[in-house]
Amino acid sequence: MATRRALKAVLVDLSGTLHVEDTAVPGAQEALKRLRSAPVAIRFVTNTTKECKQDLLQTLKKLEFDIQEDEIFTSLTAARNLIEQKQVRPLLLVEDNALVDFAGIDTNNPNAVVIGLAPDHFNYEMMNKAFRLILYGAPLIAIHKARYYKRKDGLALGPGPFVTGLEYATDVKATVVGKPERRFFLEALRGTNCVPEEAVMIGDDCRDDVEGAQNAGMLGILVKTGKYRKADEAKINPPPYLICESFPQAVDHILQHLL
Amino acid sequence: MFKKGKLLQALHVTRARLWKCKLHFPGRFAGRKGLGAGKACMPAGLRPPSLLMMADWAQSLLGIKGLLLDVSGVLYDSGGEEGGGVPIPGSIEAVKKIKASGLKLRFCTNETQATREKFVEKLQRLGFDIVVNEVTAPAPAACRILKERQLRPHLLVHDDVLPEFEGIDKSSPNCVVVGDAADNFSYKNLNDAFRVLIGLENPVLLSLGKGRYYKETDGLKLDVGVYMKALEYACDIQAEVVGKPAKMFFQSALTEMGIEPHQAIMIGDDIVHDVGGAQQCGMKALQVRTGKYSIVHPDKTKGDTKENAVRSPCLLSFSFCFGLRNNKQVLTEGCFPITADVYQWVVIIISILITIVTPGP
Repeated sequence: MATRRALKAVLVDLSGTLHVEDTAVPGAQEALKRLRSAPVAIRFVTNTTKECKQDLLQTLKKLEFDIQEDEIFTSLTAARNLIEQKQVRPLLLVEDNALVDFAGIDTNNPNAVVIGLAPDHFNYEMMNKAFRLILYGAPLIAIHKARYYKRKDGLALGPGPFVTGLEYATDVKATVVGKPERRFFLEALRGTNCVPEEAVMIGDDCRDDVEGAQNAGMLGILVKTGKYRKADEAKINPPPYLICESFPQAVDHILQHLL
Repeated sequence: MFKKGKLLQALHVTRARLWKCKLHFPGRFAGRKGLGAGKACMPAGLRPPSLLMMADWAQSLLGIKGLLLDVSGVLYDSGGEEGGGVPIPGSIEAVKKIKASGLKLRFCTNETQATREKFVEKLQRLGFDIVVNEVTAPAPAACRILKERQLRPHLLVHDDVLPEFEGIDKSSPNCVVVGDAADNFSYKNLNDAFRVLIGLENPVLLSLGKGRYYKETDGLKLDVGVYMKALEYACDIQAEVVGKPAKMFFQSALTEMGIEPHQAIMIGDDIVHDVGGAQQCGMKALQVRTGKYSIVHPDKTKGDTKENAVRSPCLLSFSFCFGLRNNKQVLTEGCFPITADVYQWVVIIISILITIVTPGP
């Protein structure tokens, strides 16, 4: 394992860490301000696939978070990059709102399947359509594989279960572009001019945020908000670098101990 | 039971008869390699079987008392405009032949889109000689388990199979039963099932089969296994499978027939769930090339090595015949150039069995 260096970048998850739908985590705005006063680069990395960057930004502004568009790195961006690189015409199973981030991509006569979080599209008919395409050779691209996420009315299935189902049906392994992929974390750091050993990630998903970041060489801080459920931290090995009640405590720890 | 000379003589007659109805015998001599290869008078792949090979089969079929047939993909292709399905050519005749032969017969299906009554009615309409108590299906088996273990299910199943679960307590559920719910596999319904499971201290998921997909007349459709896997992944749990390929399921079918595993042959179109499952249970098994086999390119239809159903995925692209020696699958050489359907297998089995029992002339 590479030796740790002085902290230069903080990656922060959005949904479940800074806010749950349209409610901010108590004290998160002030905590973000405190963090901004420190000499670190901040990036917001999210597997949120329902909304395009603009929507995300609007939600966050409404909740009075001080965040710029170019600080956000989403799995949709990563997916778009991959589609362009592979030059495929995707069947896009993403929410209509997220389509904005795919503007200009040719989707006629699809030869690839891209799966995000699309409750409206995850019906039997559409799943069959995706299945047949993959069975006859179309690559399967998963924006991420989260098991579930937190909604106001309770937990709700993420794209992961549907991707796993299609993988089982077709014996094809999906290419995952979002968290917890190592490549995603590295791309998010691009432009911050620092290496993973100089970064810390804060999130509420033990596997996707914490384990993924730690696998990429960063420190991982698990917050007990959002989708966190009791004993989640036991699901990964090595365990999280730190477990905090919520985002403000994580920021306090960084300011006091990591700088 | 018979003398060797008499048997060979009888097999000679059987062979001629099979050859005459264009049923050349699947075996190592039907292909390119082996003793039969290179004889000028026959086109490649079309040769009568060697008597030796047939004698081998006769030996293996000795003691066979019953057949288990998969239904969808073996007897008929489901779906279509009216959803009625279409019989696979020769399959109605095959069922008749089995019944006339005195062999015991059981229909072993993972069908969970209808009650057994409706399912049998549909097959009768298509022309099959079949009655309800000849069918082994997952829903009734699941009901037995639910009662035994005092489980109260949340059901994610097809509307038409709901009557099978009448009389089962479904209040404050402590388990989920997932079947082939087809159009009921909406995000909302899957999410409801997920929430029940994630809220339980000891989540129990019963899956009525674990098939990947099946063939309907308008194409391939996702099967229950896909949604079982989705729920397993979402909740970090392992489902219990009720139905093929579970050993218990085959065993209950055999109990209902009153025969032992070594006395039975399973015929199905799914290499993992029909062939592999039956073999795990100690039965012999044959694969047909109709149903889901026929539509997918062979190299796409891989076996599930976890279940040890087939030794290697590539086996399937060559396999038409799982030899019946020592109760292990034996890959016979060469490609069988024609489709092996249920009719052909039944005729072959019965012809040879008759030969063994009555070694005339």
